[in-house]
Amino acid sequence: MKIQSSFLSEEERKIIHADSIRILEEIGVKFPSEQVLTMLAAGGAKVDFDRQIAYISEAMVKKAVASAPKSFILGARNSEFDFKMPSLFSGYNLDGCGVNVLDFRTGMRRPARISDVADAARIFEEMDLGFVHWSPVSPSDMLSESVGMMITATSFMNTSKHVQDEVQEQAEVPYIMAMIKAIMGEQKTYRDRCVYSATYCTVAPLCHDEAMLSANIALSHYGVPILIYPMSASGTTGPASLYSNIAMANAESLSALVAFQLASPGAPIILGAALGVVNVRSGIFLEGTPETTLQIGAMGEMARYYGMPNTTAGCLTDAKQPGMQSVLEKTLTTLPLVLSGADIIQGIGLIESSTTLCYEHIVIDNEIAHLCKRIKDGIDVDQAKDYFSDIKEVGQGGHFLKQKNTRKAFRSEEFYQSTLCDRNSYDEWEQLGRPDLIQNSRAKIENILSGEKKNPMPNDMEKLMREIMSEAEQKLAE
Amino acid sequence: MQDLVKDAFIDKMRMAVLEGEEDEAVTMAKKAIDEGMDLVTVMNEGFLAGIREAGELYAAGDYYLPELVCSADAMKAALAVLDPEMRKLPGGVKSSGKIILATVKGDIHDIGKTIVGAMMTASGYEVIDLGADVDNSVVIQSVIAQEPLILGLSALLTTTMNEQKHIIDSLIENGFRSKVKVIVGGAPASHEWARKIGADGYSDNAMDAVRLVNGLLGRTD
Ligand code: B12
Repeated sequence: MKIQSSFLSEEERKIIHADSIRILEEIGVKFPSEQVLTMLAAGGAKVDFDRQIAYISEAMVKKAVASAPKSFILGARNSEFDFKMPSLFSGYNLDGCGVNVLDFRTGMRRPARISDVADAARIFEEMDLGFVHWSPVSPSDMLSESVGMMITATSFMNTSKHVQDEVQEQAEVPYIMAMIKAIMGEQKTYRDRCVYSATYCTVAPLCHDEAMLSANIALSHYGVPILIYPMSASGTTGPASLYSNIAMANAESLSALVAFQLASPGAPIILGAALGVVNVRSGIFLEGTPETTLQIGAMGEMARYYGMPNTTAGCLTDAKQPGMQSVLEKTLTTLPLVLSGADIIQGIGLIESSTTLCYEHIVIDNEIAHLCKRIKDGIDVDQAKDYFSDIKEVGQGGHFLKQKNTRKAFRSEEFYQSTLCDRNSYDEWEQLGRPDLIQNSRAKIENILSGEKKNPMPNDMEKLMREIMSEAEQKLAE
Repeated sequence: MQDLVKDAFIDKMRMAVLEGEEDEAVTMAKKAIDEGMDLVTVMNEGFLAGIREAGELYAAGDYYLPELVCSADAMKAALAVLDPEMRKLPGGVKSSGKIILATVKGDIHDIGKTIVGAMMTASGYEVIDLGADVDNSVVIQSVIAQEPLILGLSALLTTTMNEQKHIIDSLIENGFRSKVKVIVGGAPASHEWARKIGADGYSDNAMDAVRLVNGLLGRTD
């Protein structure tokens, strides 16, 4: 059977739901927008307009959960990479918005450039368990009002997979829609299969940001899927028990869900989570810890409790360079999520608490994903895998190498063949120059970057994208 | 007041800050005024001694962040009570220096800046925290009105780090640049960035931020 683990019992999910409702009803959430508050009031919330606080009832939450679609597709320019939510296996999301890059040539940390967005997209394109591309860095070599749109367009032009991004201003929405239309053509709504989705962060504790909220509401009108992503850190921006931090983050998520469903009934929503803990001494946000996994895993459980598709942070590390700590932490923050059935895990490619892009880790993380998937897929105790006849034929002594089943099985998913981990004899390993995980990943990257671009964007589409980019550059600067 | 009683009072003040008891610190500060105690002694041997000790415990790794923040806030609360009275003293009492902190316009990440503020308070500085998503004009006006020794600007987004530069440029335009040292911090900032925009320094953590400020003001820590 496939291994199924859980972070919360059925009873515990109910308790957390009830706690979240109590937070929404008694403490309330701040929406710094007159328009949204009016909408929430019309939808049944008790609103304190002076303090900009809305008190949301359980009935409102239930209605919002009912009106949100339970299944949709994260579309891709290349439909081979369409990703159906909820998913039968965990797909991966390139982690987004880092600040620095470990330079592939020098190994030194430096500020990210727009060329890194393009290179990372090309590498990600060839990672078979990667389905959602969030630009892994916000480059600082082009500080202009339109940088967000340049990043989105550069992503689209270098990967044929689903693109996810974050919008910070409503002024960006027309350009995003223009890009979506350039790829998908004019449609009334993009609800069932959209090539783009947006990440919306709530502001812990219990607030929303006006600019981001209005921009994301505008996108949701078109049926663009929105990923709701609370990030409270237990002890600083959230309460200091995992349990209550989860309850509060879940309340923030539900408040966003209610707002989006009231603004755009039926809008596709993904429930996400990137809760953290902190360095108790400095307050630095920590991601590669067991407590991170526990909180994020529990948030995934809550998404399933509401029957909603989910994306959770995962495959995370606080290490500053690829090596033992990064692989240890990334594995620990991936496997439990995979075993619990996360739809999408977001984290691959970044290190240093999601602030630094490391090309090598895009490849290494895809490998971690494969190893975890193999464990998740479990032991297939099925008639087809019952090789009693082989045992009988070989009998006592001898070997199974000449069995037809063996030849077939060695090329099947029964045994995952790692191309990154060293599985040679000692002497073979020496003869190969003592390769390790990092060196092996570097060879793959060299190959990808020196080879031809996979699934390039058709010329006419690229021309349209460039037109949108230059218009954004002019207009957004004004 | 008897010396012994006075000593016990002052020790209570020190402990109130050291243990981060905000209410107790306020009560003790009011008492000091009511009893007509020497406020310079009250500050130096009571409250300031407490915050200095908290800072030392933090530096030694014995205090964690919540303890430090509570001590800093207890200190601030006591200061708020004592400050108006101390101003009345002949010659006044000089604070060891005013620092203005803000997270720049368009940026709502505030916890990093708050932690830097707590560390600065714990090191004896008077911190004015303008909050997050602060308009450049508010920052400039506060600098002009408050005349701090240090202006600390936090930015966590690549898209907002440019505001650090804009603020420095406005200070130059207003003829105020030479009167205040500007330090910057936050995920996308760096030593190089600080140099590029003409800031006086950068640090990527709160402890170093204090060292940076001490260095800029020519103090030993
Ligand atoms: C928590 C968090 C949030 C929370 C903030 C809640 C709050 N109340 O503050 C929320 C969810 C609201 C949020 C929102 C967003 N965030 Co955010 N966030 C983070 C995260 C995970 C941790 C930040 C934090 O609190 N750190 C803990 C403190 C203690 O550390 P610190 O802030 O770095 O401060 C220390 C030092 O930098 C230094 N320092 C800080 N300020 C100063 C000032 C001076 C003068 C000095 C000397 C030193 C100094 O000392 C501090 C103490 O040690 C970071 C990733 C990261 N690991 O940094 C992303 C991160 C900063 N966010 C990011 C982004 C993109 C966003 C969003 C756009 C949405 C999104 N898609 O994630 C919005 C933007 C909203 C806005 N308009 O500002 C990106 C930035 C990328 C970029 N290059 O621009 C980061 C890097 C994460 C990522 N990879 O996506 N975020």
